[in-house]
Amino acid sequence: MERVQKYTKPARVFHWMHVGAFLLLLITGIILFVPAFGAAAQDSWTRVIHRIGAVIFVLAPLIQIIANRTTAWASVKRAFAWNGDDLKWATAMPRYYFLGDESAMPPQGEMNTGQKLWYTLLLIFGPIFLVTGILMWFFKYSLPSAVFQWSVFVHDVAFILIFLMFLVHIYLGVIHPMMRKHGGSFSSMVDGTVTAEYAKSHHGKWYKEVAKK
Amino acid sequence: MAEKAILYDSSKCTACRGCQVACKQWWGLPGETTTQRGTYENPPDLSADTWVKIKFKEISNGNGGVEWIFTRRSCMHCTDAACIRVCPTGALYHDPSGVVAYNKDLCSGCGYCVEFCPFDVPRAKGNNLTGIRKIDKCGLCGDRIGNGLTPACVKTCPSGALVFGDQSGLVDVGNKRVQELKSTYPDAYLYGEKELGGLHVMYVLTQTPDVHGLPAHPDVPAAAIATDDILPPLAYALTGLAVVGLGINYLVARANANKEAEAKAKK
Ligand code: HEM
Repeated sequence: MERVQKYTKPARVFHWMHVGAFLLLLITGIILFVPAFGAAAQDSWTRVIHRIGAVIFVLAPLIQIIANRTTAWASVKRAFAWNGDDLKWATAMPRYYFLGDESAMPPQGEMNTGQKLWYTLLLIFGPIFLVTGILMWFFKYSLPSAVFQWSVFVHDVAFILIFLMFLVHIYLGVIHPMMRKHGGSFSSMVDGTVTAEYAKSHHGKWYKEVAKK
Repeated sequence: MAEKAILYDSSKCTACRGCQVACKQWWGLPGETTTQRGTYENPPDLSADTWVKIKFKEISNGNGGVEWIFTRRSCMHCTDAACIRVCPTGALYHDPSGVVAYNKDLCSGCGYCVEFCPFDVPRAKGNNLTGIRKIDKCGLCGDRIGNGLTPACVKTCPSGALVFGDQSGLVDVGNKRVQELKSTYPDAYLYGEKELGGLHVMYVLTQTPDVHGLPAHPDVPAAAIATDDILPPLAYALTGLAVVGLGINYLVARANANKEAEAKAKK
């Protein structure tokens, strides 16, 4: 089957570092949040891992952005380049995800509407985690208790929302029957390529650009 | 087991600080090196190694003299305990006598109890960068009272300012003492009978709570209720909904994909 390159190797490496850090944060966070798992946090080890995870979670994308200033900026611009097709995508999406009906799906660029949404959410939630996390970590003894108390609350709200959206993200990207049918997007995270068939159906506009080159 | 309590009578306290010493002795806690700050009050604050201390305060007695106000500082063993609510590991829990007991092995060092305690009692010791810490606070000598003894501080108190017994009985003792004191101290008050569902350490105060440095209306912080009573059920419900929703989507989408495949195969 014909394959097209979607992500470079450094992009994939940084993505997996970010994923790994996120999973560490998620698991060690759940341990503190769900009382039934709480005992796993004894002697502070999961909290140490949470801190290491946080450092990687913040540094990986920063290093990537600094190392690839131009392409990183281009990808941020792409993520925020909303247009009429995004609205069409949103209205056609239920028929696609339930009935497998692709007829009304508008052609998409390198990032489709769903991916743009996920990107935007990370750009919103990342800083919320970071700010509340830093308040709890470094300002525990210098700011009033109320700051700490509400930081825990906000951190938890962000955690619940990002966890739910993460479920949807994984489901739509990897598990959904249509993803399996086309070979899906997961391979782009592994070897950087997607099948031409997937590229055509999910990123039509982008596929045309690549095919021209 | 009936609920137990300590009753501290500030009008009988001489601030000998025997309770501080007895506590350290029974629990093997090290002394702290402090500097002279111009007061007999020492050490300056509670710490992971100082679970009880007497606070000194001087107020005007109304005719040009001063009066010393003593207030005990230690865990108040609340019935509605914020620390137990926010503790992620279950290291803090109520034992059958109503005491806020502490299983140090389970402690994760998160320090939520430190930040949420309405009385500013638990203290953490450890490394704040890595977060490897342990909390400490008074456990009302759970080992001693479990064996029919009184807490070390009560045992040593020479002036009768500290007594130990059934909570309900001590409420009566405290209220009676407050009545006796009213003529000399019109603000006398039994602190802890109603506060936070009843404290297992009650104070006979000669002054209003703020003069003693106690919150007049101690409360479980709203953030604790929001974080520990509201968010978890919401999170579980939303996760359940998401899993069911995605599951339904999976079944419908797969059925349709199969139908299409069959239709293609027939052609
Ligand atoms: C961006 C960097 C982040 C930093 C600096 C950070 C830091 C912290 C800190 C300091 C705590 C308090 C407990 C402790 O002292 O160990 C905490 C708790 C927690 N974190 Fe994070 N965190 C970050 C990202 C995340 C992410 C991405 C998630 C989940 C997806 C997460 C989920 C949680 C949860 C669930 C808790 C427990 C809150 C509770 O006990 O209710 N954190 N975090």
